[in-house]
Parts: sequence; structure tokens; C-alpha cells
Amino acid sequence: MAATAETRQQVEDMSGEYKYGFVTDVEMDMAPKGLSEEVVRFISAKKNEPEWLLEWRLKAYKSWLKMDEPDWAKVNYPKIDYNDMYFFAAPKSMDKPKSLDEVDPELLRTYEKLGSPLREQAVLAGVEGAPRVAVDAVFDSVSVATTFREELKKSGVIFMSFSEAVHEHPELIKKYLGSVVPQRDNYFAALNCAVFSDGTFVYIPKGVRCPMELSTYFRINAENTGQFERTLIIADEGAYVSYLEGCTAPMRDENQLHAAVVELIMLDDAEIKYSTVQNWYPGDKEGKGGIYNFVTKRALCKGKNSKVSWTQVETGSAVTWKYPSCILSGDNSVGEFYSVAVTNNYQQADTGTKMIHMGKNTRSRIISKGISAGKSQNTYRGLVKVLPGADNVRNYTQCDSLLVSSESGAHTVPYIEVKNPTAQIEHEATTSKISEDQLFYCRARGFGEEEAVAMIVNGFCRDVMQHLPMEFAVEAQKLLGISLEGSVG
Amino acid sequence: MTKQLIEAYASQAESLHGILAGMDDVRTSAMSSFLEQGFPGTKNEEWRYSDMRAFHKKHFELVSGKSGIAIPEPLGDYCARFVFINGRYDEESSDIGQVWKDISIRPLANHFMANESRVDELIKGSDSVSLLNTALMRDGLVLSIPSNVGIGRPIEILHVMDGSDNAAAHVRHVIELGEGSSVSIIERFVGDDSAYWTNSVLQARITENAKLRHIRVQEEGANALHTAKAYVNLGGGSEYICTNVALGGAMSRFDANVRILMDGAQATVNGVALAATGQSHDMHTHVSHLSGNAVSEQVFRTIADSRGTTSFQGKVTVAEDAQRTLANQSFKALIFDKTAQANAKPELEILADDVKCSHGATVGQLDDKAIFYLTSRGIDPETARQMLVSAFVAEALEKVDFDDVKTSLMGRIASWMLERNADKGTGG
Repeated sequence: MAATAETRQQVEDMSGEYKYGFVTDVEMDMAPKGLSEEVVRFISAKKNEPEWLLEWRLKAYKSWLKMDEPDWAKVNYPKIDYNDMYFFAAPKSMDKPKSLDEVDPELLRTYEKLGSPLREQAVLAGVEGAPRVAVDAVFDSVSVATTFREELKKSGVIFMSFSEAVHEHPELIKKYLGSVVPQRDNYFAALNCAVFSDGTFVYIPKGVRCPMELSTYFRINAENTGQFERTLIIADEGAYVSYLEGCTAPMRDENQLHAAVVELIMLDDAEIKYSTVQNWYPGDKEGKGGIYNFVTKRALCKGKNSKVSWTQVETGSAVTWKYPSCILSGDNSVGEFYSVAVTNNYQQADTGTKMIHMGKNTRSRIISKGISAGKSQNTYRGLVKVLPGADNVRNYTQCDSLLVSSESGAHTVPYIEVKNPTAQIEHEATTSKISEDQLFYCRARGFGEEEAVAMIVNGFCRDVMQHLPMEFAVEAQKLLGISLEGSVG
Repeated sequence: MTKQLIEAYASQAESLHGILAGMDDVRTSAMSSFLEQGFPGTKNEEWRYSDMRAFHKKHFELVSGKSGIAIPEPLGDYCARFVFINGRYDEESSDIGQVWKDISIRPLANHFMANESRVDELIKGSDSVSLLNTALMRDGLVLSIPSNVGIGRPIEILHVMDGSDNAAAHVRHVIELGEGSSVSIIERFVGDDSAYWTNSVLQARITENAKLRHIRVQEEGANALHTAKAYVNLGGGSEYICTNVALGGAMSRFDANVRILMDGAQATVNGVALAATGQSHDMHTHVSHLSGNAVSEQVFRTIADSRGTTSFQGKVTVAEDAQRTLANQSFKALIFDKTAQANAKPELEILADDVKCSHGATVGQLDDKAIFYLTSRGIDPETARQMLVSAFVAEALEKVDFDDVKTSLMGRIASWMLERNADKGTGG
């Protein structure tokens, strides 16, 4: 890996492990602690929401009360006390900024410190060749800035924070909100439906290829808060969009909850490419602190010939519980899932995907690479389901696990359920450690042990990395190196 | 479970008190654990593919006596044949063949008479079906092979059910292999058309360098329910080779629970399941590598036709200290019809780092190109399909070392295919 020297420098610069662990000092506006119907009403009132949305939230809250926290995943964490956290936190200084200039400079500095996300500053400054990415930045519970809106508007693309969209495009929100992930879908999704604070809304109109990559940057800052955002992306007939998502949080000793819901909808011939680099604070070396990342992501390929592709690089979070799924209901639709999950120290990840084949000639591909180091546990859990009406389905799944330490665990739990004889389903999984021969080969050519491991790991993840957009791939590759620092030997 | 069911099962366990020496306390505690759990539903992860509805509805009771059902021909040459009718050892139809020097073979009852402390060696089980077996067992075979004794031909253990609807048999076999010994057993299950339930548990302790071949042939009657479990513990350098063939019954399930306790052991668990006309076959394996340098292999081939369901849940766990483990698993399913279904859940749980583990799973239909290739060479489509199916299934029967037994099994598979084709009234 060419970036090794740089990576090492970065690690030294951080004089720690997690480079995004700082706290931004801004005054916060919080909801009362705990969860109750009042808190749900408070959040809704705070966002000045219409009555129907409040009703929708309350319905979700009521069903959440009757649901049990899922316990089937291979993760252990102390019971979450939902009455000991804040469900809403917003920087006080900002009430709807009109442009970047109006955003609290303290917040902008936060994003500057984070480096990559507000890259468009360089674009704004006229730096030639800088990537053009429109960013929606979400700070704790609210969206603080959305860039490039005017330019996107020209092509008809709607890209704004969720709370704005509720007021500006209620018809779209009403039609699609909860249409892929219903309120009662699962415990954490129901919780999100009740208390979601903000998020991103994207609509790509018929036949439009979004002129630039869209991106949301999530940041948890306040203490004892949960972050509950929603992303809703609709690609109308023949539309295309590539969407990036990044996330970080300060280092704190307490665990913080992140329970997001992402819904993607594709009509005929539409395509969405959704990439995530998840780098929430993973907790310290002793497993103290870190984010609980309990996320429901689902894509509905509603139209014919539609396509969705999930790519994720998961390096952060103390506990990850996340299964980006594809419902392939339109004929000839395609679902793809590419994932790299790295766990180190005491991290636990239980992640995978679901491919539900309903339409004819639907195809899906799953490539999952898990890397376990330290004392971590890394699980792939996935489902490929073919319904009787889905003729000529094709699926290929490959799950590989790499063990870097003797105290870590790698688990694979795929489910295959087929009800149609014309389906062709293939699944392969392997688990092994880094081969001594490969290590020896690299060492003999003068690479240090850590460098050699980083190189082999990068090779191992290549199939997934090449599906990330260019600038993200570079960042993700560095992140891999950093996540595995100190795990060798 | 309904109150009536609970009472019925509880009183049945009580009625068995005093039947096997030293077993009363074991029965009572197993029964109370069972009643606590009840029969599993589909929400239970381990049982999600098993259709247990019948068990929630009616009480299956132990029966006595026999109505003189014809005992089927053996699968192949055997060195001894033990017949259990309705769950009881039937001396008349058994054929012990030759004098068994040194080798202790006796019905469960005598075993406990001989030494009450042997009760401690019984595996009580943790799932409700095994618990019920523990609570209600009346009979079974106890086989102890002394060190360094090898037995060439297999021992056939035939289970025959000719009971009525609701009849149940809870059989328990206990097998112990001394160091360096080897034996082969064929467990076979047949029965009439009534809706009975066979619930069998086999426990085997294979000590150092010993070898157990275990062939299971499930040919229960069309309406039967069949649940079975094998608990196998492997010592250093020992070997266990299991082939499970599921053909009959309305619903069947086999769980192989294999634990590699010492270094250098080898475990092979293979299986074939053919399901049609509403049948469901569920096969489970759990191979735990608790010690290193061991090898485990699993090969499963299943075929589902009209309203048939085949399921496979295979789990390999590798403990932290079990370094240099090799574990492979292959599951392939064919589906012939839109009403048929195949489910698979191959699971790896690995805590050691110096391992090589893999699993592969495929689901599909027969390859059109292969059929075309054969038909273009003048083979009729029906025969072509037959050939492809035989080749497909044969991979999972490879470890059946006895040619005559293997031929009988292949014959059963061929006639199943003929029946399928006849049902459809087509040549392919």
C-alpha cells in the first residue's frame, strides 16, 4: 500500500487511535431526557411538523413500546436504558441557515477538522480538479448545511434536509416515507420512526443523471444523545445517482446509540449507488465507549430493470447491527452488496444483507469481506430468498473472512431459501488466517510486518474497494490501515 | 402446549418409573425441562425449517405389542441384525448370527441392570425432542467394542413401526468404541402408513484411534414423523463417518452433533434427502472442533419435487484452542417444481485463527446443457435426467464403503426418480 508512510504519519499525528475523537463546543438545544410521548411531541413541534407526521411518529412510538429488542445477532452489549439519553440535540446557534455563510463558524471548523467531508470548500475556492460532491452535513440531530443546492436544482434534483423536505415536498414524503421500511419493521426502525430528528431527502426526476455525487456527513457531538436520522432517496424512471455517506463521533466513555433508517426507491430503469464509510468511534482499546450502530437500510427495486448497489466499508462502532437489503420486485432488477467489515480490539460487528427476489430475471451479487483483529467478533449474516413467481433468478454470494489474531472470531451465517426451480443460487464462504507464505514473501522483499499485513488486507478487500467512488476508495484504504494498526504481532 | 398435552406427557413419564433401573430421577428432570420448553415452533431458530405443527396438536403415546408386520430384507450383508418393533427389542426377528466373543451387545434394560452408575453416561439433551427421548426411553441397543477389535460387516439396527396413529417410539442406542477398534452400523427405519412418530437418539463415544461408520436409512411410512439425533464424541485420532439418507416419512429431521475432543480426529457427515408430495426433510449438523489438527467434511445433496421441502442447517464451530483445523462443507440442492422448496443455512463460527474453513452452497435445477449433451448422443431425456441425478447424489454416498449397501441405496434413488417421472406423466 503506497499510503503506508502517510498512514503511519497520520496515526502518529493523532497520538491516539481515533482521529475524529474531538468535541465541538457549541451550545445545544436538547429535548428532555428520556423517551415518552411528550418527547415525540416535543421533537415534532420543534421541527414544526404537520399533524400527519406527528400521528405517524406516535403510531410508531406505540408499536415500539410493544416490541422487544432483538437478541438474535451475535453481539453482546449491556441493556440500553432509553430513559437515560437525549433523543434530540441541535446546535442552538442555528435556525435554518440559508447558505454556508450563515452556519456557525464553530461547526464549519468541525467539518474542516474532519477533513474530507466538506471538500467542496476547495471547489468553492476554485481549486482545479477538485472533486465535485454536494454535501448535506448532519450535526447531532439536525442538518446544518447542504451545499450545491442551486446547481442541483437546475437539473431538477431535490437534495435537502429531511425537515425541509417535509415542508417543501410533502406529497413525495407522504407517498414514500415508510414504504420500504414500515414503522413496525423492527425494534430500532420503530424507534427511529418515533424520534427521528433529521436526515437527507433526495429525489432524482425522470431521466436525470445526477450531475455530481451526493453525500451526507453524520456527526454525533453531544453527550448522552442518540442520533436518529432518516435518509430517503427516490430515483424516478431512468434516473441515476451515486450517494456517499460518512460518519464520525467524539471519543467518549459512554456508549452512544445511532439508529438510522435508510430507504431507497427505484422506479423503472433507475439506478442508485449507495456507498458508506462508517467510522463511528469504536471505543478504546479496553472496549470502553463507542457507538452502537443499529441501522436499517433497505432498497426497493420497484421498477423494471432498476438497479441498486450497496457498498460499505465498516471500520468504526463498538457494536454494528446492520443489514442493507434489496427487495427486487421489478422484473430484471439487480441488487448488489459489497462490504468490508473490519473489527479490532473489542468491536463487534454483525452485518450482511438480504436479497429478496420477487420479480422475474432478477439478479443479485453479494461480496462480503470480514477482517477480525484484536479480541473482536465479526459476523456475516445474510439471506437470499427466491419466491415462487421469480423465474430465472441468479445469485452469487461470496463471503470471506480473514483472521488476524488468535483471540478474535469470524462467523458466517447465510440463509438460502428458494421456492423456484429455475433459480440458480451459488454461495461460497471461506475463513482463514493471513497465509504465512504471503507474509514471508512480502517480508523477504523488505516490507515491515505491519506493512505486509496492510498490503495483504488491501488485496483481500480489493473486490469491494473497486466499487467505491474514487476519492472514497482512497480514504477507505487509509482507514483500513489505521483500523488494523497495532493488531499485528 | 395445551394443558391436556402437558398432562398426557407427564403421566406417561411417571408410568415408566421403575422400568429401567436408576432412571427415575433422570426421567423426572428431563420431563420437567421438556414441559418447560414445550415443542419448538418456527420462531425457534434451530427449528425454523422443521414443520412441528403435528406435535403441538396431538399426544403421541408409547405402544406395546406388534401386529406381525413383514420384516424387510436387509440392505446388504450384515454380521448381526437387531430388530426393534414399535421401539422394543424383538428377539424373534433379530439375527445375532454368530457368537460375540468379548463384545458386549445387549438391550438397554439389561445394561442398566448390570450397572446402575451407567445412567450417568446417558446424554440428557437440551432440545425438547431429545429431552423427551430421555424421559420416555424404554429400550435400545448398547454396543461396546473392546480395544483393537475390528468388525468387518455392518451391524444392522432395524426399527419397524406398525403401531396406530399417535404411536410413538423413543429409542436410545449407546455405542462405545474402545481404543483402536472399528465397527459399522446401519440404522434403518421403516413402518406402515399410520401417522406414528419415531424419535431416536444415538450416542457414541469413539475413543483414541477408533473408527465408527454410521449409515442411516430413513424409509418411514408415508405419514410418519421422524426425529433423530446423534451425539458423537471423538477422541484423539479417531474417526466418525456418517451418511444420512432421508427418503420416507411426511416430516423428518436428523441432527448430528459431533464433538472433536482431542487432536487429530476426523469427522465426516454426509447426507442425501429426497422430498416430494408434501414431504419435508430437515438435516442439521453441528461439528464442534474443540481440539486442533482435526478435519471435518460435510457433503449434502438434496432434491425437492412437488410440494417437497429439503432443508439443511450445518454449523461448524472452531474453539479458540483448536488450531490447524480444516473444515469443509458442501451443500447442493435441486428443485424440480415451483411448489418445491430448498432451504440452507451453512454456518461457520470460528474463534481460532490458524484454520482453513469453507462452505459452499448451490440451489438450482438440472443443467439443461448437460441434458442436451446426453440426448444429442441418443440417450432419451428420462434416462439422461436419471443419470444426472445419480451422479449428483452419488457424491454424498461416496463414504458408504459397502458396495451392496450402496447399490441398494442408489436403487432406491433411481426408483424415486421413476416415480417422480411417472407422477408427472412426462419423459423429462
